[in-house]
Amino acid sequence: MKRIAYIWMMLLISQSIWAQDRKFQVNGDARGYMFAKNMLIDQELDSINSPRANYGHTLVDLGFSIFPNDNTEIISSFRIRNELGGFWGGGVSFDVRQLTLNGVAANTVKYNLGDIDIKMTPYTLYNFEEEGMINEAEIFALRREIVHYDMFYMPDNTWRMQGAQVGFGLEFNKLLKAIEFSGFITRQRPTDGIAVPERAFGGGTMTWKQNDHLQFAYNSVNLFDLTRTISDSMRYRNNIHTFSTQYRHSLSKKIDGGFDGEAGFSNVNYLNYTNPLAPAVQDDWFYDASVMLHFKEPNIHVTLGYKDVGADFFSPGAQTKRVNFNRFPGVFEQYTNDALGRPINLTDIINHNAGYTFQISERLMAYNAAYDNINPHGIATPNRRGMYLNSERCDSTKFKRSFIQIAQLFESRGMGTNLKKSFTSIGAGTDIAIHDFFGWKRELMLNLGIRHDITQRGGEVFEKINLSSTLVDLGLSIRLVDKLDLLLGAKYFQANGNEFITQRNVFNTVNNFQAIDINLNETTLAGGLRYKFSEGNNLLINYQHHQLTNKTTGGIDYGISQFNILYTLTF
Amino acid sequence: MKKFIFYSVLIALVVACRKDDQENFDGPDLGDSFGPFAILEDLTLNTYEVDFSVGQEVIFSMELSKNTNWVIHIEGENSGATRTITGNQRVLSLDNAVWNGGANQFPSFNLEKAYITITFPNEVDSPVISDSVLVTGLKLDQGFLITSFEDGLGATWQQFNQTTVTGTIQCDPNLAAKGSCFYSWNGTVGWDWAIGSVTVRPPSGTFGLPSNANNLFFNMAFKALENVGSQNSFILFWFDEDDNGDGVFDVNTEDRFVYEHWSNTSLDWDLISRKYADLKFDNDGNVQQTNGNGLTEPSKLISINVFFLANPANGNARAMADHLIFTLNEPYLP
Repeated sequence: MKRIAYIWMMLLISQSIWAQDRKFQVNGDARGYMFAKNMLIDQELDSINSPRANYGHTLVDLGFSIFPNDNTEIISSFRIRNELGGFWGGGVSFDVRQLTLNGVAANTVKYNLGDIDIKMTPYTLYNFEEEGMINEAEIFALRREIVHYDMFYMPDNTWRMQGAQVGFGLEFNKLLKAIEFSGFITRQRPTDGIAVPERAFGGGTMTWKQNDHLQFAYNSVNLFDLTRTISDSMRYRNNIHTFSTQYRHSLSKKIDGGFDGEAGFSNVNYLNYTNPLAPAVQDDWFYDASVMLHFKEPNIHVTLGYKDVGADFFSPGAQTKRVNFNRFPGVFEQYTNDALGRPINLTDIINHNAGYTFQISERLMAYNAAYDNINPHGIATPNRRGMYLNSERCDSTKFKRSFIQIAQLFESRGMGTNLKKSFTSIGAGTDIAIHDFFGWKRELMLNLGIRHDITQRGGEVFEKINLSSTLVDLGLSIRLVDKLDLLLGAKYFQANGNEFITQRNVFNTVNNFQAIDINLNETTLAGGLRYKFSEGNNLLINYQHHQLTNKTTGGIDYGISQFNILYTLTF
Repeated sequence: MKKFIFYSVLIALVVACRKDDQENFDGPDLGDSFGPFAILEDLTLNTYEVDFSVGQEVIFSMELSKNTNWVIHIEGENSGATRTITGNQRVLSLDNAVWNGGANQFPSFNLEKAYITITFPNEVDSPVISDSVLVTGLKLDQGFLITSFEDGLGATWQQFNQTTVTGTIQCDPNLAAKGSCFYSWNGTVGWDWAIGSVTVRPPSGTFGLPSNANNLFFNMAFKALENVGSQNSFILFWFDEDDNGDGVFDVNTEDRFVYEHWSNTSLDWDLISRKYADLKFDNDGNVQQTNGNGLTEPSKLISINVFFLANPANGNARAMADHLIFTLNEPYLP
């Protein structure tokens, strides 16, 4: 057997080009941002909180890539940020945004040290998307990209962590094609030296590529406390081990087929905890299997799958939410004369006002059942089983992208009753190039997305659940003149019904239920102008109005209008 | 195609072996919290004649269909004393529904019939459960009783009353905060705030209190009936300590800690309670200037002067005081 070592690239560096003749490269992003917000609420409800908020900043993320030799790259990114109004250095901050060392050892092993972006499978390590969007308008997406950029929420669903990562592969010319190995270890939490032990998160994947059609992988991630980092011997340990497989094969000249599958288990231990509520062990398993068909003409992918995720399957790397719904928004944090904390709404999430997460949480985080009650903890949401169907058509001339997403899930274990909830989700979206229909030269794009979710449970009156929600995203992009676009967007959300919110203790054990009624409407309308100086160099001036109506008893109606100027430059 | 079919069948087999947990559910039973309300077992008491003085208790037993708020209200037939016990468990039992003879506040229960009602405030149209129990012995106080005025004036006590004031011990179990008797002031003093006082002293020496002032509480029941309000009348206490141990208090060389408590308009018995160590501070929180060693030393307490004062501009003043008692670790529980 002839063994050929090759490099498995794991980190993509934007705007960077590996060049042997270069020793130094500068890239970066710049941003200028100003907004003026106005809280629109009945004076009788709120006469004590300031209804206006103005803010602005300029920042530059200056990235340096240094190539000391052919096999090493040092990436650093420094953020210089100036709050508008903070003259003479008063509002200026300097931060190290990224410091990473990439290299190849012995022309075989690829390694990354420092700030690394990692993703594995949807059940092991996966940064799933936040709530409140389905093919949303560009005017919203441009704002959301800022959040994603700042929080390192990359399009490929990686988590930004600090640690080390290695990867290498072996190729074979008989029996099998290749075996690839990758592993990482990251530091999640330092110890306080007294009661909080140091916590690490590590894992890896071994991928067995049988041939061009079939591959298997063993995946393992482990969140664990390090012993002897505090005097107490208590420590947390969560191990997830999964096996995944992927098969692709041509079924005919026009159809490719295949299947994907992943199955595994989690095992949680609370070792030497004195809290009597700490369970000795929590373990459960899952599987997710799907069949895929690809119709080459007209380029339609169809995936039909079934999953069963156990009620005690806990995978922090895959279940941590981006938005922490236990926190309050950064702007207009309180409202009403009772100084109530204002719950996070859908535009707070778009506008960088929500409490975002960048650390893996071993606890299932709080969620808003109105926004997502079906998979609030991502694909790996525990206690879900059922079928799903996804279909996507890409690269059509007039319909740039169209998709349908359908899921019919059930609980595998009842919550407070033997009866199980059923979850139905139907979503669809499309991007339509209207100008192609009419043969116009100037671009006119319409994007549309709609999702309807239903949660139901039967039984006695007191245990019945009937919750439905609808999210509609509508956007229009009109090319007025060269480089100047008129962007319009609308987002409509409505939820109505009831639910019993599961309340869990620190050990993820269900200890109570909160009965809630939901009767919520949110409408966001936005319009603005974008001038595209060049690719990655945009000026956006837009106005947005958000109106929230809460018709439940004691619900507070309010609106937030916002005018903002956003300039972005990538170089 | 064969492989595709093979793996599809394989997936179907995996799906077929999915688990289905029909027996268990997570969390508390929803029916216990949100189900229909019903009384599954009627109220029963462990006794209908209770002697609290020998440690007996009244235990309420009842079973409901769900966890819901319940309120047990007990009211003395003659004293008007009340006791409320609340909870939200499905089962009322020894663990959560026991009455040891105490009241929420003054007045305390007497030897009398006590009427019991149980209500469920969160349950619409729920029944009101009623019962009664006869109190044949009173709860014993935990602490150091100075006087409840049941045995008349002490030989060493001293009274002061303005000429137009009647200040004396009265006995009426329906009026007393505890027991049958109390001290009463009644009169009009148009020229002075001072109405009257009674200085309570032990028969000899000190009251025999423990030396630690940090966990000792002074308590007294007080009720202003006329000339009431936080600007109109108050009780002024003098706590005199025999610092040199000669059996006599000298105001020029020994500690007199002063504490005043203004009346409120509720016309109910008011429990005055003050940690002894806090007596070194005046009502504004400043350290009092005394003429002794400046230390709060309850073991040296030789007399307590209870002085009633009222605004002379408001006409007649009337007030009652009862049950002077020191307690350990916490204020007195009527």
